[in-house]
Amino acid sequence: MFTDEIFRVWVTGGVLTKKKVSEKEGKEGGGEEQARRKLEDLVDSHPDDSCHHFNLAKLLWEGAGDSKEKAAEHFVKCARLNPGNAAAFRYLGHYYGRFSVDPQRALKCYQRALSLHPDDSESGEAICDLLDHQGKESLEVAVCRDASAKSPRAFWAFRRLGYLLLHQNKWSEAVQSLQHAIRGYPNCADLWESYGRATELEESRVFAWVESGNVFLILNSFRKAIEQFQHALEISPQSISGHYGLGSGLLGLSKECLNLGSFRWAASLLEDASKIAKAGACLARNFSCIWKLHGDIQITYAKCFPWEGDDLASEMVEAEAFKTSILTWKRCCYVAAIAAHNSYQRALHLAPWQANMYTDIAISLDLICSLEENFNHNLSVWKLPEKMSLGSLLLESDNPEFWVVLGCICGQTSLKQHAYIRGLQLDISLATAWAYLGKLYRIEDENILARQAFDRARSIDPSLALPWAGMSADIHARDPTSAEAYESCLRAAQIMPVAEFQIGLGKLAQPSGHLSSSKVFGAIRQAVQRAPHYPETHNLNGLISEAHFNFRSAAAYYRLARHATSTFTGSVLKSNLRDISINLARSLCLAGSFLDAVKECEDLHREGALDAWGLQIYALSLWRVGKNDLALNIARNLATSVSSMPQTSRAAFVSFVCKLLYHISGKESAIFSIQKMPKELFASSKVSFVVSAIHALDRSNQLESVVASSRFSLASLDEITGMHLLIALGILIKNGSGSCLGVDDGARHLRKALHMVLLGNLLLHSTDWESSHMSVRCSSLDHFDIPNTIGLKSACEILGAAGVACYATSYSKSQFSFPTCGYHSHEPRVIQKLQRFLHYEPWNYNAQYLLILNLHQKAREQRFPKHLCHTLERLIQIALSNPLYSVEDMSCQYQKFQILLSASEICLQGGDHIRSIDCAKIASRILVPNDYIFFAHLLLCCAYAAEGNVMSMEKEYFTCLELKTEFHVGWMCLKLMESNYTKLVKLDSVESNSQDWSMEIKSSVNMWSAVSCLMQGLIAVQGQDFVSAEVLLARACSFTSSESCLFLCHGAICMQLAKQNFDSNFLLLAVTSLTKVQASSRHPLPIASVLLAQAKASLGSRVEWETNLRLEWFSWPPEAKRAEIFFLMHLLARQPKFGSVSPSTLESSQSPEQWILRAIHVDPSCLRYWKALQKHMG
Amino acid sequence: MKLAGLKSIENAHDDSVWAATWIPATDSRPSLLLTGSLDETVRLWQSDELVLQGTNTGHSLGVVSVCAHPSGAIAASASLDSFIRVFDVDSNSTIATLEAPPSEVWQMQFDPKGTTLAVAGGGSASVKLWDTSSWELIATLSIPRPEGAKPADKTSTKKFVLSVAWSPDGRRIACGSMDGTISVFDVARAKFLHHLEGHFMPVRSLVYSPIDSRVLFSASDDAHVHMYDAEGKSLIGAMSGHSSWVLSVDVSPEGAAIATGSSDRTVRLWDLSMRAAVQTMSNHTDHVWAVAFRPPGRTGERAGRLASVSEDRSISLYNYAG
Repeated sequence: MFTDEIFRVWVTGGVLTKKKVSEKEGKEGGGEEQARRKLEDLVDSHPDDSCHHFNLAKLLWEGAGDSKEKAAEHFVKCARLNPGNAAAFRYLGHYYGRFSVDPQRALKCYQRALSLHPDDSESGEAICDLLDHQGKESLEVAVCRDASAKSPRAFWAFRRLGYLLLHQNKWSEAVQSLQHAIRGYPNCADLWESYGRATELEESRVFAWVESGNVFLILNSFRKAIEQFQHALEISPQSISGHYGLGSGLLGLSKECLNLGSFRWAASLLEDASKIAKAGACLARNFSCIWKLHGDIQITYAKCFPWEGDDLASEMVEAEAFKTSILTWKRCCYVAAIAAHNSYQRALHLAPWQANMYTDIAISLDLICSLEENFNHNLSVWKLPEKMSLGSLLLESDNPEFWVVLGCICGQTSLKQHAYIRGLQLDISLATAWAYLGKLYRIEDENILARQAFDRARSIDPSLALPWAGMSADIHARDPTSAEAYESCLRAAQIMPVAEFQIGLGKLAQPSGHLSSSKVFGAIRQAVQRAPHYPETHNLNGLISEAHFNFRSAAAYYRLARHATSTFTGSVLKSNLRDISINLARSLCLAGSFLDAVKECEDLHREGALDAWGLQIYALSLWRVGKNDLALNIARNLATSVSSMPQTSRAAFVSFVCKLLYHISGKESAIFSIQKMPKELFASSKVSFVVSAIHALDRSNQLESVVASSRFSLASLDEITGMHLLIALGILIKNGSGSCLGVDDGARHLRKALHMVLLGNLLLHSTDWESSHMSVRCSSLDHFDIPNTIGLKSACEILGAAGVACYATSYSKSQFSFPTCGYHSHEPRVIQKLQRFLHYEPWNYNAQYLLILNLHQKAREQRFPKHLCHTLERLIQIALSNPLYSVEDMSCQYQKFQILLSASEICLQGGDHIRSIDCAKIASRILVPNDYIFFAHLLLCCAYAAEGNVMSMEKEYFTCLELKTEFHVGWMCLKLMESNYTKLVKLDSVESNSQDWSMEIKSSVNMWSAVSCLMQGLIAVQGQDFVSAEVLLARACSFTSSESCLFLCHGAICMQLAKQNFDSNFLLLAVTSLTKVQASSRHPLPIASVLLAQAKASLGSRVEWETNLRLEWFSWPPEAKRAEIFFLMHLLARQPKFGSVSPSTLESSQSPEQWILRAIHVDPSCLRYWKALQKHMG
Repeated sequence: MKLAGLKSIENAHDDSVWAATWIPATDSRPSLLLTGSLDETVRLWQSDELVLQGTNTGHSLGVVSVCAHPSGAIAASASLDSFIRVFDVDSNSTIATLEAPPSEVWQMQFDPKGTTLAVAGGGSASVKLWDTSSWELIATLSIPRPEGAKPADKTSTKKFVLSVAWSPDGRRIACGSMDGTISVFDVARAKFLHHLEGHFMPVRSLVYSPIDSRVLFSASDDAHVHMYDAEGKSLIGAMSGHSSWVLSVDVSPEGAAIATGSSDRTVRLWDLSMRAAVQTMSNHTDHVWAVAFRPPGRTGERAGRLASVSEDRSISLYNYAG
């Protein structure tokens, strides 16, 4: 009865956990009170029972307020009665430590508690904290050591001791303590960290290296782990854990490499790892884990060993060589798989109770089966892999991953589904199970279920490759756009570079137009390494090479694909083989091996396997080989079948047939055939272009109607502009005569079309130099850095060339010259732009060439300053060393010629006559038309003249005469030479020659005559024969209407004559000419206005005199204003003002003295100004 | 008491040899040595020259265990995939194929009368008894679960049964588990009797003394060989000397000596009267997976023979003189 009562009380009071007590407090405050009273009664009635004291004390202790002291009293009593009650001492320790602060007593109580129960972490931690506060570290260590020695389960002591030892720099001891502590607190991050640190610090011992290696392995930093283990093995070559760790580290690293898709690297790492593991296994033959590691390494090796036959593609490989290469590769994988299999069996034999071993064996068996490729789907018999995977389930049926493995390995759909679902039942968030379930449903065409499963897998773990692949495989079911499918597949292949995904990616890339993407390229190249026995891999590889315009290797890959088809696929699909062969023929054709292509096509043709595309290739290759008749035959066949083709491909066929007809049987026959064909065939932009091109060449316009109707199919802007260009070209060809194209007509059309860049291009080709300005205006609208998409010439090149054509384009400061050309420059920084252009495309010799020419122009404009010449010389040196110029190509040679001329002129101006002559001589030997060679000799002529070598000069002069040129400038120079050296040259042949030459070019007859007259006039001026000079210049002016220079000359001479002869007729003539100068030049020419002012003044018009003088002021750029201008302004300023003339006129902005002062400031040497100043002041 | 090397065959199999037993002599032929290997074959060897008598294929994974019927006419081999192939020794014709779930076939032994085949049931934590006439499963002797353990508890893997032995009188079966315990069953009542404790690592081999049905020898991964009074639940002797796992133990026909094979690459002969190793053979270069004394046969085969097979693919034959 007594015991019953105690039991009841014990149940109702003492044993109630704290939580329950507090609950009770919440509900009924009296509950605790009641319990206490009962316990007090019990204590009173049984004062010698320590249990009652303890229970009461505990109740009091846990109660609120000041009951602690009372509790302590009872704890003391309890401890006295039962000195073995560790808990009582612990509470007493808490009491002394926290409430009545008596650390000594607290210490003693804790010590007592610990000696009674060393595992008590509460007391342990409390005593340590206490000692820590007092700074008694050695005592703390002693307590911990004591406790740890007493009980291996006193983990708190080990932990504390570990930290303390770490603090005292005793690494090795700390490591041991921490290691022990980790067993008790495996989830304590601090412990792991200190452990890693401690092992790192303890350098000299293998143990430390191995352990820190292991820590790195846990942290997945394999490289560091490998280092640590290597150190360990250096110290102790026999260390098994070192071997094991190194092997695992290498395996981990190789798996990282694998995920990157670098199979070769992974394989080499695995070879090392395998050696290490093997060595480890030799040291410890009965460690199943090391055998498992070896198995893991081998199976990874079998899965990643790459096919090394890429280089086979470079040569023509026989099927047999390819086959052996593949078989060797397969054999290698197979051997590795078998090795893995055996190692796993060893591991299993050593530790058959380990469930995962069965799975490992199952997986290795599965791999071996797939490598053997004996798929006998006998569903009634349990296959071995399935059975083995069941083994692990028997041992550990609650491991969801084993279920997933079973699902993957077994062949029966229902079992698969069951296994996955079981796995999911065990772990609903198992992404792999969802993914495989999705795959299963996908195969079973349960598309909705599949999608759900994939979606779920993806949302659980987006880094899983399979659901992404599944998404992309959904392309047929759900019809996502091919781009979407491609993206998903790309992600799958990037997450996990598996050949299947990669091949899928390649297949998806084709319709979505990503074949030339480097991602696809990389993926397929990797797939070739892992799946060289699939024809599809090689086929895709070929397609990708084709997309990269590497037709030769594409052909090689197609050959491989064909070998693979015939060797490794059991039942050869005819259509596959045919597709590959057509691909091969196409790439051969594109690569230029037409003979081979013809051979391929013949084979296919004989089998009747050529479809329309194949026939095109056949016909094309036949034509290129020269078998025109056969080609025509095939083309005719094609043409008859055109109407039965689908609309989309019809256009290509029609255009092909047309082109082929044109090339083989000529224009007329092609036109004839086109006319015979039904018109609706031409309703496509592609065909329209072809027909229009033929039409453009045809002068008799037979295709007018066909072309007109076909043009309706043009849609995009690009097409339309392209067509305009074509039409313009057509006009050029039709209206041009002989070698001269009808540029004007073409340009007219293009202007209508307003296609800027093209217009610019076309204009540049024209001989009309004014148009270069037009071209600049056009091209300047084009964006600088967008390369011209049409592939003709970039805007930059146009700009550069225009800069050469007329230096007004690049003219920036008028300090050096006054352009007579009437066009504004829109791009004042041509040289800078060209430099930028060259910087963008350093390989672009054209840019370099243009830069040199432009710089040369600039140098010429600035009278050859030293620094510019120096820069130019260096540029020229670089340019001349360019191998391109050794090519016997007309344009290259021309460029070289120009550069040499430039070099020669630079040298001549720099005073280096010998080099100048050398350069010019080299230039004169280059094979360019005589027109150009002329300039080389002209330069030679100049150089000899500068040298004073009259004989040679004369010789060169005659050569120039013989060569002739159609450039005015050249002729003018020659003429000047002639006039300068009249004593030496007896012949007056230049003029007559020029007459002859000029006749050859109709378009510029007027210009030629004008130039000729100008020259004669200038020579007459030199001879002071102004009258005849006036006549000649007047003639010159009559030839042209817009050449302001000529008018200026004429005006000036007239003024001179007027001055000499006092003839007002000349004044009138001068006024007409000079007015024309003002009217025709957009940049006001200097002097013209002042002359006009003089003429007007002489004619008595004061107002016009003033206006013209003002005009003169504006015709000089500010930095180039001469003293005389200021002086003239002073004259103006001195004029008394009349009436309403606004005070804000220019001259009135400053006083006359100031104008004179400025004139004097500019030119102090002129007496006239001083006199004027004197006069003014006076 | 001495062992003397008679014959050794290197590369007797293509891979590790894992199991060996003697097939008793019949009227028509002397006794044969039967070996099983990782190379998935079972081979028969003639003594004393170890002439290869035949190679039996058919297993898909490594052969882990072989045993012979006391009559010498039939034998059985078991592989890792848990198929037991029972075959006629002379004709190599398959008599029966017994299939068990994977992981549930380990060591096997025919009872002394030859009516029952006992199979250590691995992960099933039991010993399965097969009738040798109908080849049907007649009983499953399960090791009881520890008190309070739930059925789903993973402790069953701790009782992974690796080895099995019949007492010479056929009344008892002992089986050794992965956790080091040995369980003794009463065959007639199919009842678990008790555990024998003392080992703390897997017990891979068990054998009863031929002269005393109470005495059981056990070999364990803890490098010890124990001698138990199997009825009295007491450890009556412990022999140490191997430096690694003891993989196999067999007792000599006259019961005076036992031989052990170990993963320390040695074969040891122990004198039971002295409870000490009297000889150590170290001719193998790898684990010695099995040792087997030849059962006494007719005249001419009186001389004692011991065979050992090893991971190094070799088989060794020794003369045993008592």
